[in-house]
Amino acid sequence: MNPLLLLRVHRGAVAVLALLALSASLLIAALPRGFEASYDDALHGILDVTSANVTDLTISLEPRAAEQHLTSMAGFQKKDREWREALPSSVTSVLQTRRGREGHFAAKTIGTPVAGRVGVDGPPQQYVNVGWVSGTEKRVRYVQGTPPGPPGVVARVPGYPDLQNVKRFDIALVKDAAEKMGIPVGTTLVLGNSRSILGRVTGVFEPVDASDHGFWDHNLDVLKVSIRRTAGSDIEEQRITGLTDVGSLSMLNGQDRDLMYSWVIAIDPSAVDTRNAPSVIQGVTDFQSYLDKGAGRVLATYAEIAQYAPYFLATGLGDLLTDFLRRLATAQALMFLILGGLATVATGVIALAVQLLSERMRPGLALARARGASLGQVVRVGAGTVALAVVPAVLVGYGLSYLLSGPVTPIVHLGPLVIVVITIVFAAARLAFTHRKPLQDRRDDVAIRRSSPRRTALELLIVVLALGGSYLLRTRGLATEVAAQGADPYLMLVPAALTVAVALITLRCYPYPLRLIVWLAARARPAVPFVGLTLAARARSVTALPVLILLPALAVSVYGAVVAGTLDSAQRLTAWQATGADARVDGQAEIPDDVIEKIRQVPGVRSIVPADKGTAQIGYGGRSAIAVAIDLDAYRRIVADLPLDVPPPAPGVAAPAIPALLSPDLAIHDTLDIGWHVRMKLVKRGVITGGLPGLSFAESNLIVLPYDAAKRAGLRTYTNTLLIDGENIDGAKLRAATGNRPDFLVSTFGEALNRVTKSPLTNTINGSFLLVTIALAVYALLTVVIALVVGATDRARALSYLRTLGLSERQAAGLTVLEITPLIVLTACAGLLLGLALPSALGPGLDLSVYTGDQPVRTYDLSLTTPALLAAGLSAMAIAGAYLHAMIGGRRSLGSILRVGE
Amino acid sequence: MNELDTPTELDTPTLSELEARATHERPAFGEHAHILCDNLVRIYKTEGVEVVALQGLDLLIEKGELIAIVGASGSGKSTLLNVLSGLDVPTAGVARVAGTDLLAMTARDRLRYRREVVGFIWQQTARNLLPYLTARENAQLPLRLAGKRARTSRADELLELLGVGHCAGRKPNEISGGEQQRVAIAVALANSPQVILADEPTGELDSENSEQVFAALRQANRELGVTCVVVTHDTLVSEQVDRTVGIRDGRTSSETLRRASSDGNIIAEEYAVLDRVGRLQLPRDFTNALDMERRVRLELERDHIGVWPDKARSEDTE
Repeated sequence: MNPLLLLRVHRGAVAVLALLALSASLLIAALPRGFEASYDDALHGILDVTSANVTDLTISLEPRAAEQHLTSMAGFQKKDREWREALPSSVTSVLQTRRGREGHFAAKTIGTPVAGRVGVDGPPQQYVNVGWVSGTEKRVRYVQGTPPGPPGVVARVPGYPDLQNVKRFDIALVKDAAEKMGIPVGTTLVLGNSRSILGRVTGVFEPVDASDHGFWDHNLDVLKVSIRRTAGSDIEEQRITGLTDVGSLSMLNGQDRDLMYSWVIAIDPSAVDTRNAPSVIQGVTDFQSYLDKGAGRVLATYAEIAQYAPYFLATGLGDLLTDFLRRLATAQALMFLILGGLATVATGVIALAVQLLSERMRPGLALARARGASLGQVVRVGAGTVALAVVPAVLVGYGLSYLLSGPVTPIVHLGPLVIVVITIVFAAARLAFTHRKPLQDRRDDVAIRRSSPRRTALELLIVVLALGGSYLLRTRGLATEVAAQGADPYLMLVPAALTVAVALITLRCYPYPLRLIVWLAARARPAVPFVGLTLAARARSVTALPVLILLPALAVSVYGAVVAGTLDSAQRLTAWQATGADARVDGQAEIPDDVIEKIRQVPGVRSIVPADKGTAQIGYGGRSAIAVAIDLDAYRRIVADLPLDVPPPAPGVAAPAIPALLSPDLAIHDTLDIGWHVRMKLVKRGVITGGLPGLSFAESNLIVLPYDAAKRAGLRTYTNTLLIDGENIDGAKLRAATGNRPDFLVSTFGEALNRVTKSPLTNTINGSFLLVTIALAVYALLTVVIALVVGATDRARALSYLRTLGLSERQAAGLTVLEITPLIVLTACAGLLLGLALPSALGPGLDLSVYTGDQPVRTYDLSLTTPALLAAGLSAMAIAGAYLHAMIGGRRSLGSILRVGE
Repeated sequence: MNELDTPTELDTPTLSELEARATHERPAFGEHAHILCDNLVRIYKTEGVEVVALQGLDLLIEKGELIAIVGASGSGKSTLLNVLSGLDVPTAGVARVAGTDLLAMTARDRLRYRREVVGFIWQQTARNLLPYLTARENAQLPLRLAGKRARTSRADELLELLGVGHCAGRKPNEISGGEQQRVAIAVALANSPQVILADEPTGELDSENSEQVFAALRQANRELGVTCVVVTHDTLVSEQVDRTVGIRDGRTSSETLRRASSDGNIIAEEYAVLDRVGRLQLPRDFTNALDMERRVRLELERDHIGVWPDKARSEDTE
């Protein structure tokens, strides 16, 4: 017996098995790669838009003790080497290695005020820090003057008789600062109100490449004048850092000025990925504690401890990655679930195909076994045939997965390997079980198999464990820190156990509803339903494997549909709450009537509800509240079919009082005197809870007035907000209608939705669910067809006998469909229920809020349409497969079928 | 009775005589038989329901014999053959073939037994041969499975011997049913077994083919000295063997012996089987004719035993 010969003889079944193994291997190897790639894309998307001073590691020191002062670049370099050597290897592996971008170091004074200018008067409230940053020579271009030279000491300063022997530093300012702050080249600034120094402006520069974020993000104080309006005055503070020569380091020290040393160690965002992120977080923490433990300081006396300043590590990398991993954990858990479901189903279908092949090989192997083949020989030949079919197919699938770009994780190699191992082991076990005795001494004709009490107890145990597990998951949640340690296997175990439990229950209870239908069918005239359903009700025609395959297939699809539906509606709700209508225009000032008129002309705009929103003074004290003046009736009309809950307007009151809705914290007042445009007297006519969707998220300190409140109080109406009802309103056209003024903020529902759905990983989740659902539907179809083909011989014989009694071909096909339909329909119902139950079973394990703009997803959207359609579609496909099989099978001649197996 | 009167027999045996008698091994039942079944029982048990297929069957077959086993459907013929071929394990009793105890075999022994001692032929022509191998390859298969070098010449010789040498290169679906069965006999003989068991080998064949197949079996029996046991319904077969054993309800019920008379005709004589403990199955026709039920009266005559219905007793009870 040669496996190759068997391969050739049973090429049909072998082809089915090989194809299934190929597709499973491809899916199992490619999907995780795709997932990982999209996780990384999402992470890089976040890192790319994050400023370098958040992602890079910045070590800073405010030197106090003289020993901490660094007077030359060599000192900085030495420290830089020290830090880099102390970095944990997990961080070292993600450092920027491009030449000239590895990082830099700097020494800058902090908050150095300009006390005056030598010879001229300058504007007040200016701050010019003196700073040296390594690597600026190549990054700046002098447009005026010369680069700063070495420092010096000035014996006397004209106009400042107190200043003697003061240090003078040459500095260069960025062109923007020189212009804004009015500091031309040649100006000498007196810096610092005490122990002053001189800053001589020798040059004005421009950055060579302002988009070199890796450098300038850390040194924005050099590039941009920061302006701050001081409280209680209309004078602006202007701050800038001037660049000085490296030689100045010898004279810059922390005793005269507040000085800050910093070392920037640049991170290469592209080197950080989801796999090394946890170790990077840990590495950053370790480095932090290394610095905290007094690294870089050699302390000999207690006095030194007091003097020595600590080194600080400033980086947002850890927090950024932690936050990302939190989002990722949900995505991973979801992927874990659907991939697990897919793998289960794929393995099940492969097992079914192995069953088909081994059934085909059985007569030959049984003969060989009877003629003197040992069990080992039979198993070797049979399993060898299966291996020959599966191994090349899996290898091809594995190879094809490399066409998809994406990082290679262990599961990419392990998945296909596991498929091969499971398939061969299953085949070997099945063959060994079938051929353990040379002769089948099963006399199923004598007595049907009754299930043993042991089996019943085991099944009961599984059901109890599954229910207990899901109860624990619901009440206790996940024990481990999901964000830190990735998806919890427990999360996977519960659905798996639930699926098995539901499958067992389905298999056990399956005959009972059928008996009722059979009882009814027996009373009807046509014979086909009765015979078909009776066949279906006989436990032997139901094999556990198809149920075990169909159930998770449906459960995962339905679960996917529920999650996708929930995500979609939660995202839409978030977007609606953000805009409050199809579009909205917020003006910082009043929106003129002509602008409103222009907006009315924008295509798609149906109606506009004007509103006025502002801060009202309550009484005459300091308390203020958000006041919104709006015609709630009109607003309710435009949000009638939206998921927004707008309260009805306050009932009218006698003029001149104005009816108002007050938030619960203000509701203690029956009347309220507020100042907003004009003094108004409000009468409480209702309480508004939960804010006003679209207009105010604030749930307290909120007052909602009629739109014409100000007019009633004797003034006129104001409008600074427009709520626009319409269809497909183009944000760009709306902006154009407002004259593209920066003080008008235009937002549309589409844009808001786009912002929420653009959240990284959302597309991955939706796309994966779709892909997996399609794959599962195909698998479900294959399951039914293969299950039917496995039992085709027996069925063909049974049907042939019936056909000799006058059953037509069409009736025979109907019989086959009826025989398989109850199983599919009942399994579909069970799968549907399981899929609908999974979200609540897994409730606390999965936090979807990270995909809905951080709006909590409290309840799952259990709309039945999509899941029911899915279940119905899958069932229809499976039943169509059965019908197809029956129609094709029915073409064979009666004689040939009746002789089968004789 | 007269012998009992002799004084020597009445003498108490001496101790040495007793010892000699104890150590002296009396020939066991069927010790020299090639196939021995003694009180063979096979019970199928499925989930508490028992079916007794063999109910204490006795059978002795000498080496080189060609016997037929006949019996109604369900009488246990096939079970007996499965037991003898080592495919099935009896529940109790003794089954010995060519000196191998079939009840005491390990799985390994059983495999060796199938490889070296027995060959068999089933009724379904399709079940005997692998459809995707040629006749020659089929005949080589048992040797290969046994790990022996499968010589082409041996397979060809066998096929030639059985008159199907011309089919050697053809696959089963390219040759007739009769030829398939003869190839099957060649396959069964491939391992040079001592016993060939055939389960209705001519059941699916017409009379001409049946004759050829039976002739092939007889040829194997005579030329290779193989013991042949054929289960059959076919009178053509059962009337041509030296001995036909009838099985009823899992027990051997009758035996028909054939011998050539002096004038060359074949004389067949049917015997009832008396088992080791003296049990006898009376043919149902006989018992029905005399309305025998439950009990009969036996009377020992000088040269036979008379069997009478228990009439008087039944009248008493009525």
